[in-house]
Amino acid sequence: MKTTYKLFLLLTLFAFSNCESYLSKDPIGLLTPEQVNLDPTVTSVNYSVNSSYQLLSNTLNIIGEWGWDDGTVLRNDFVLHDIASGDMQKKWNPDGDQAWMDEFSNYSFIASNGAFNGIWSYDYEGVSRTNTAIDYLTDEDVMSKLNIEPALKNRLLGEAYFLRAFYYFDLVTLFGDVPLLLKPLVSFEEAYEVAQRTDKATVWDQISNDLKSAKSLLPNTKYSSDSEKWRVSKGAVIAMQAKVALYNKQWQEVVTFVSELEQLGFYKLNDNYFDNFSVTKEFAEDEVIFAYDHQEAKTPNRGNGLCALIGWGFVAPRDNFVESFETNDPRLKYTVDVENKNVNKILGTLDGSNKGNDDAPSNRIFIRFADLLLWKAEAYLELGSFDKSILLINEIRNRARNSISIDGSMPPTGTLPDRNLTSTNKTEIMDWLMHERRVELGFESHRFNDLKRWKKAEEVLGGYGFQSKHYLYPIPQGEIDKSGGTITQNEGY
Amino acid sequence: MEITFKKLFAMKKKLIIKLKKLLVGMTFLLLPSLAFGQMTITGTVVDADGITIPSVTVMVPGTSIGTITDLSGNYSIEVPANAENLRFSFVGYKTVVEPIQGRTKIDVTLLLDTELIDEVVVVGYSSQKKSTLTGAVSPVNVDDLDKRRVSEVAKALQGQVAGVQVTQSTGAPGDEIDIRIRGEGTIGNNNPLYVIDGVPTRELAFLNPSDIESMSVLKDASAAAIYGSRASAGVIIITTKSGQKDKPTLSISYYRGIQNAINLPTMLNSEQYMNTVEKAWDNAGYGGTNPYTADKGRTDFANTNWLDELFETGFSQNIQVTASGGTEKVQYLISTAYYDQDGIVVYSNDKYKRYNFRANINANLTNRFRVGTNLQLSYAVQDKLSSKGDAPGIIRHALLRPPVLSVYKDKDDPTYRENDPFTDLPFYKHNNRDEGGWESDKYEWTQNPIALAYFTDDVRSHFKTFGNFFGEYAFLHDKSLTFRTNVGIDLNFYHNKNFYQNFGDDDGGGSDIDKGKGRQNRPSGLSEDRGEDLTVTWNNTLNFDKTFDKHALTALVGSEFINNFSSSIGASRSRYDYTGKTFRYIDFGSTEQDLWNGGSGSEWALLSFFASSTYVYDNKYMATANLRADASSRFADNNQWGYFPSISAGWKISEESFMKKYNWLSDLKLRVSYGKLGNQEIDNYAYLTLIQKEGDKYLISRYGNPDLKWETTTQYNVGVDLGLMRNRFYLSADYFQKITTDILLPISLPSFVGDVQPTIVNAGEVSNKGFELGVTLRNSEKAFKYNINANITTVKNNVEKLHPNLPRITGNVTRIEPGHPLNAYYGYEFDGIYQNMEEIKSYLHGTINPTALPGDIKFKDLNNDGKIDDNDRTFIGNPNPELYYGLNLSGSYKGFDLAVFFQGIGKVDRYNDSKKIVDYDTRPFNYTTDILDSWDGEGSTNSTPRVSFTDNGSSKISSIFVEDASYFRLKNVELGYSFSKFKELSNIGIKDIRLFVSAQNVFTITNYKGLDPESTDLMDMGTYPLSRSILFGINLTF
Repeated sequence: MKTTYKLFLLLTLFAFSNCESYLSKDPIGLLTPEQVNLDPTVTSVNYSVNSSYQLLSNTLNIIGEWGWDDGTVLRNDFVLHDIASGDMQKKWNPDGDQAWMDEFSNYSFIASNGAFNGIWSYDYEGVSRTNTAIDYLTDEDVMSKLNIEPALKNRLLGEAYFLRAFYYFDLVTLFGDVPLLLKPLVSFEEAYEVAQRTDKATVWDQISNDLKSAKSLLPNTKYSSDSEKWRVSKGAVIAMQAKVALYNKQWQEVVTFVSELEQLGFYKLNDNYFDNFSVTKEFAEDEVIFAYDHQEAKTPNRGNGLCALIGWGFVAPRDNFVESFETNDPRLKYTVDVENKNVNKILGTLDGSNKGNDDAPSNRIFIRFADLLLWKAEAYLELGSFDKSILLINEIRNRARNSISIDGSMPPTGTLPDRNLTSTNKTEIMDWLMHERRVELGFESHRFNDLKRWKKAEEVLGGYGFQSKHYLYPIPQGEIDKSGGTITQNEGY
Repeated sequence: MEITFKKLFAMKKKLIIKLKKLLVGMTFLLLPSLAFGQMTITGTVVDADGITIPSVTVMVPGTSIGTITDLSGNYSIEVPANAENLRFSFVGYKTVVEPIQGRTKIDVTLLLDTELIDEVVVVGYSSQKKSTLTGAVSPVNVDDLDKRRVSEVAKALQGQVAGVQVTQSTGAPGDEIDIRIRGEGTIGNNNPLYVIDGVPTRELAFLNPSDIESMSVLKDASAAAIYGSRASAGVIIITTKSGQKDKPTLSISYYRGIQNAINLPTMLNSEQYMNTVEKAWDNAGYGGTNPYTADKGRTDFANTNWLDELFETGFSQNIQVTASGGTEKVQYLISTAYYDQDGIVVYSNDKYKRYNFRANINANLTNRFRVGTNLQLSYAVQDKLSSKGDAPGIIRHALLRPPVLSVYKDKDDPTYRENDPFTDLPFYKHNNRDEGGWESDKYEWTQNPIALAYFTDDVRSHFKTFGNFFGEYAFLHDKSLTFRTNVGIDLNFYHNKNFYQNFGDDDGGGSDIDKGKGRQNRPSGLSEDRGEDLTVTWNNTLNFDKTFDKHALTALVGSEFINNFSSSIGASRSRYDYTGKTFRYIDFGSTEQDLWNGGSGSEWALLSFFASSTYVYDNKYMATANLRADASSRFADNNQWGYFPSISAGWKISEESFMKKYNWLSDLKLRVSYGKLGNQEIDNYAYLTLIQKEGDKYLISRYGNPDLKWETTTQYNVGVDLGLMRNRFYLSADYFQKITTDILLPISLPSFVGDVQPTIVNAGEVSNKGFELGVTLRNSEKAFKYNINANITTVKNNVEKLHPNLPRITGNVTRIEPGHPLNAYYGYEFDGIYQNMEEIKSYLHGTINPTALPGDIKFKDLNNDGKIDDNDRTFIGNPNPELYYGLNLSGSYKGFDLAVFFQGIGKVDRYNDSKKIVDYDTRPFNYTTDILDSWDGEGSTNSTPRVSFTDNGSSKISSIFVEDASYFRLKNVELGYSFSKFKELSNIGIKDIRLFVSAQNVFTITNYKGLDPESTDLMDMGTYPLSRSILFGINLTF
């Protein structure tokens, strides 16, 4: 009996001892922020900046997996900027596929349309990644533990600042007042505390500040890194500064910034219009200032997925767009080849290859020098220097008529004649400028913002159903729901 | 004497005794014989009141000699001289064993046995008599269970017990089954805890239904509290069969069945389809000529009925062999089974096979010390065909693919290939779409479901070792104190292998290296992974059970420790040059690009202490108290412990002296209980903020919540048990209230925080209130025996409150908001069809340039502002069933037995997403014949909008797609015949042969248009249809 009791006691003690320690389970393979901060490496900091670029790309399924209804299959710029501007229509032949895109052709969308959720998710994921990167790079503790060259650190920080400004630029021009987050969240409860819309003036200020910071940190070279030419360069920062000034109607600043960029001497108009887009000329030409570098056959994917959509029949010009080109303007066929249904600009080729390829290598051009010249032209126009303005317009036209056409021949003489230098009719010159922007930068997702900026949207698009409330897109319904209502909706929706 | 002897021979028949079954076969008198060393014993059997009892079984234990008492309660039996005892037994009475001691007249009084009437029920870590149970515990009638002839225990449980709702989410072989006890209490995992031979587990599919000895469902807090931490969704306790101290028996049973798909919708044929799409094109207002008009009468059109082509007759079979026996010291049971099912989709890539082996050995090492083990091995292999939803959604494609496409290409077609004769892109000629390579503008891009069924190769196998070893020692003079230690192992190995064979037509796409290949699974690839999962459970209990005078006291104290570790490893490669079966291994894929390998692990642990006590006074007044304390590794240090108490009390009114005079009243008991249970079914590291390395990025994958703690369910239960006429009629009614607080819920943060996974938060409170009623009526005394068992449950689900930061949680088609049921459907409300433009203009008076057209869906304008926008959405349906019921009828007569089982669910809605994509999509998919009634002009209909390739309102989530999914189904009918009366059998040593035929899912009455109203998905995306099966089988007992 006694031994049995002893055994029993022993067993009980054994049963209860050592058990509590089993209850603390360290997560296997999943890192906590403490671990990452405890043990940072240059590689991880480098990678945190690299990952911030991804949301600018056209790669498919960066967020979610075929979430068509959520609008997250790829970056929706072609819907929100190009279809909405009246230049593009969803498909060559109308059909019922992805009907949510058609809603941008006639402005019948409401807040629950997936496109808004899509771009919001992409831009804010970009903001979140840049915030994390900036947090590391400005953290004294983390930086002191690392052995990182100051030049590298500055460059990375400059890139992150630029990217953050770039994402917020997109958000504020699309939605108006948006939540302004400048550092990574610490806990989930903080998410509800910061779920407020910040006045857009404050957001613009932040964008300007970020660009200013970036400018001082980036090296004075055409490419920030010779081995990775796709990185943000000083030129890109100055260009964005000019764009910010343009959108805020600070005309003199626009001229100053564009001139500053010209002084750098890195950029000029390419001889051939298509060199900007051709897959063969990537980073070997002089006009592109900032582009996302799509590369094929990489794991994870970083190819151009919009090419796959083109293969499925998406991305077609509206008749109105095609008709707006002047006769023999070579830029029409370079933008879109109607007979063969090739959107050459996006495919990056002239023979239709890459069509249907969800991993295409063609780059997405965000900023190129021709765009800047036209900003400067606009600024001059607003400042009253009509002749300087017309000169710049003519420069663009000159390049266009001297580009070899898609079929190998030169455009016949008399194509794209120079505009009359002596004109002082502001309306007429404005018309020339608007036309030139449309045909030069067609399908590059600039037109909708332009029309809104010039307050011409109702005039040009009213016939399709555009109303004044559409100057701002609605905040995605999902955000309003998830924030519990602290994020309010734009007027009219 | 001689004359009687001859008479005897003429009339001699054997008596066969079934020890366990309460239904007794035909019995005959055994007349006294002349044989030497025999003696005849006679007597009368009466009950406590002196009334004689007929049909009492009288036998000599250890032999097959026996008889039954006649209508006057008299018996006469011939026993060998060396017989020691006579045993008297009858349903509802305590068995009496009388030593013969040379007597020739033995009269016996049988006493009512309350134990037998209400069985010993396994509750918690011990067992209790049902008569003294104060909690809501429902034992399951295992015989009825056995008759269900299903592959899985969960399926067998359907409709058997009040308050337990079992639904199969798809009909695919091997797919999961959901069990809900008293409604959906939480937003996450609602499956109950299963305790099999004392080892808790969350899986049930591996268990062979024929191995179950007893099963009880613990529904309320008092009953389940002893499992506190994981019991908030209820507990089902299962004890597997063990050996008995008896003559060895061997039983073999076999059945074979055929299945066919039922309840399939009628799709349009080619002519109807062409007319419909022609109309849709016209209604879309496109300019130009209608391409479908031109296409009508094309000679290359087929008239395929895709659903017909896809489904075939399925087969199933099951064989089970069990051997058991024992002595006083050692008892054993060994069983093995094989189940095999080939599903109803063509090309047999939807199969399920399971092998089971079980050994159960108990040994009394001394008269105080007992040890035993239950060991189970099971191996299941499932050939899986996608059974629900979108990709690749074989069933969905069968619904959508236009009938004008044929299944196979013509042999003369230049694109025909021997190894891939199936059509893919519509009317495919070559790979340049812009030059007319194929016609997806008109006939869409659906996949060929027959091709998918042929090429799918997705095998998932699961090997499981489940078992326990226990030791029990009885202390004290009267053995009232027992110590038991039990170690359980649940070891699982998983192996999934999925080969993606490249097939289909070349659409000119793909990366350069893959040019020229078909568009499906481009490039080909193999994905394989292996995982293991080990859970070790160790519990120790000390049990005290003593009755003295009128007091009965039981007390239990114990501890439990559970540790789980799981890990997995996997790899995939693409571009297989050779795709035959012998090359489907990782080694043979390309190493140039698209390689992947990965592996990870996870673990959790639980530590618990518990105590329980029951006190019964004079069999009339009883009270039980439980307390359990649990710590879980899934919560942060400050919140690991949860405490779960419960109490219950009961009053057995029928035992009161003033009630004794009503002999027709055999049982009347009132019970009431209250208690708390916990839930921690969330991811293992849910409270931590996590960063994931994805390729070359460090990204925050989830924000943490360090305040995360246990979810608690508090239950109140009031019940009454009523038994009449020796419990021939038995009724059990309960009213319950289940309130779940601090619900563990994944909350999607607003997107501006970035793309992160939802954070688990204790968010909200849900209540389930309802009423349960179970009624049994049976009679096993006459020649015709019957048993009627009906149960009905009502449950009302309501969200009481939510986290302060979240006034509501919005899903795709649902919304969780206080004051409404959980996951209630939310959207626009259908209000008819616009008949003309004037109606549209006046109805949408607040909209500038309304784009609606006559024939479009009219939604209710709830705020009457003349606009249809997000402010006009409301709650449109409730997916939580408010009523479920089951009715079991069984009877037997002269060797025949018949069992019929009905089951149904009422007051439930379902969002039929497959209806949306089939009949309400803007693409030229096929439609059901319902579309033939679509709006055709003013006044033609007010329920189905015009067909169109533009949006007629169908893109909005609305009550058009929310359907009433209530149904009534004849689930099972079984007719059997037992040959036990034939003496020839016993000559060859066979105790019984029973032949049976059974049918399942015989008919369903429902208004639901989806494939199966039983589907439990919130959005029914076109699940695998249920099948009707017919089985034939045989049971042999030796």
